Amino acid sequence: MIGTVYVLVTGPGGTVSASQLVAGARSLGRPVTAVAVGAEDVAGDAALAGADRVWWFGDQSGRPPEAFAADAAKAVAAEPGLVLTGRAPADRAIAGAIAAAMTAPVVVCATAVEVGAGSSGLVTGPAAGGLVEQTVEYASPVVLVGPALAPAGAAAGGGGAASATEAEMPPGPLSEAHPYPVEQASLTPAGGQKANLGEAAVVVSAGRGFKAQEDLALALALAEAVGGELACSRPLAEGLGWMPKDRYVGISGNQIAPEVYIAIGISGQLQHLGGVRGAKTVVAVNSDASAPIMTAADLVLCGDLYNLIPAITAAVK
Amino acid sequence: MKIAVAYKWAADPSEASVSPDGQVDFSRAKPKISEYDAVAIAMGRALADAAGAELVGISAGGSAAATPLALKAALSRGLDSAVVVQSPDLESAGTFQTAQALAAAVRHLGDVTLVVCGDSSIDAGAQMVPAVLGGLLGWPALTDVGAAQLAAADNRLTAERSIAEGIQTLVATLPIVISAAAGALAAPAPGMKDILAAAKKPSQVLSPADLSLELAAAAPVTAQVKVSGPARRCVQIDTTDPATAAAELLAALAAAGTPIGGRS
Repeated sequence: MIGTVYVLVTGPGGTVSASQLVAGARSLGRPVTAVAVGAEDVAGDAALAGADRVWWFGDQSGRPPEAFAADAAKAVAAEPGLVLTGRAPADRAIAGAIAAAMTAPVVVCATAVEVGAGSSGLVTGPAAGGLVEQTVEYASPVVLVGPALAPAGAAAGGGGAASATEAEMPPGPLSEAHPYPVEQASLTPAGGQKANLGEAAVVVSAGRGFKAQEDLALALALAEAVGGELACSRPLAEGLGWMPKDRYVGISGNQIAPEVYIAIGISGQLQHLGGVRGAKTVVAVNSDASAPIMTAADLVLCGDLYNLIPAITAAVK
Repeated sequence: MKIAVAYKWAADPSEASVSPDGQVDFSRAKPKISEYDAVAIAMGRALADAAGAELVGISAGGSAAATPLALKAALSRGLDSAVVVQSPDLESAGTFQTAQALAAAVRHLGDVTLVVCGDSSIDAGAQMVPAVLGGLLGWPALTDVGAAQLAAADNRLTAERSIAEGIQTLVATLPIVISAAAGALAAPAPGMKDILAAAKKPSQVLSPADLSLELAAAAPVTAQVKVSGPARRCVQIDTTDPATAAAELLAALAAAGTPIGGRS
């Protein structure tokens, strides 16, 4: 399939769905090959998302997708092309193996892609931690990791002729597979609901201004009162571990465009603000008048969140 | 047996400034060992101590990465020694070139069976070097590892991590590349004793030519612009009385065409 664009999918855990990736790839006007790695249902989802061709790398052994990185990389490198994927750990692990096999540059969170003749093209994406945006000219295929091309909530495939039955899918374990010796010993499902930040009209987001994990109940109460979703800044999800990682907003996390974004106790580092550029109205509640968020919000409430948030929740009700 | 820890001598872009025409000025942002790399070194130290292995820092960068200041900062975090691949071409290297240089350092060291990386670099923040490094070495890569144990006798690594699907425990046979999740463990700042000891630890600075390494050509940048989000209005709402402030906020949101609450 000459000039194919690859869509790499590893499971439902990412912040970009298979159908968003396929829609993004399709917008480039090239045939779309889904590289499905891991469990068999990942391949099924990719086929349903409208890919023209599906390659499945996995088996029934319960090995994690990472075990099949070399197999997937070898297959893609044999027919090099642009690769689009999400940012889940397995997405990144396999995308890196593909980049190594193709000698390809990696661009994270690209915002625009122009495909030229052959494998050349122009890719625009953040650089220097989000301070600037660079457009780089490539003569060979590039691996794009993280949201690219398809806006959050984009419609499924559309226009793709393929269906699960038509797509080319290896019938079972690959006979020539050489999986890495990596086994999954256990998986304890996480509690709580899966985040759906991309489609929420109102997102209430908590930062380090909260003094204790229990206090996040204040933000949750407001989110529930407005029918919105609860999100957070990166330190709450990673350093402190108070919130699941799929709920943090930032260049490296969720990039969202809600009607209203309410940032509570969030200082507003570049990395965070890069995730909410598309928000229509940004509200900041912060006790520090000099925090960067105060000049990056439409409506600014400088004060104690412990007094202000309950008052706003009460007013909404 | 050796365990390598990849680190980057880099400055935090949030301390840099950018001119209206898109030029980034890092002169007031000082390079350092980031919190992410400090966590990786701490994880590597714990694994090396348990396995009786040597812990070697590996890094790729321009001239600043090979200065005594940079080496001492890295070594004082608990490394036994360090190897820096230095070249002007690595000054602002992309993911692929960085991974190439680190892979060459791993091969140069020999006897390395585990590479530990930080969650991300402080400047590029792509979170992609561990996976490309693994690909170049022909080793698997597991990112976002929160806890790791090494059974050196049977060459196995057990890694636990938190992914969207839940808490996952993985068992892998070495060699492997892992990245430590941010905040996986505490990485206390080095004390005076550590800093003094660092000055006596061995280090090696190598050029790509020393390693017979041909770095991939960097793709040309055709445009660079300052990122500016939509202009925000920055309307201050008086918060002296929380209830009044709340009412004013809801009115302002409604006036902006983005009401919240039951009546929206």
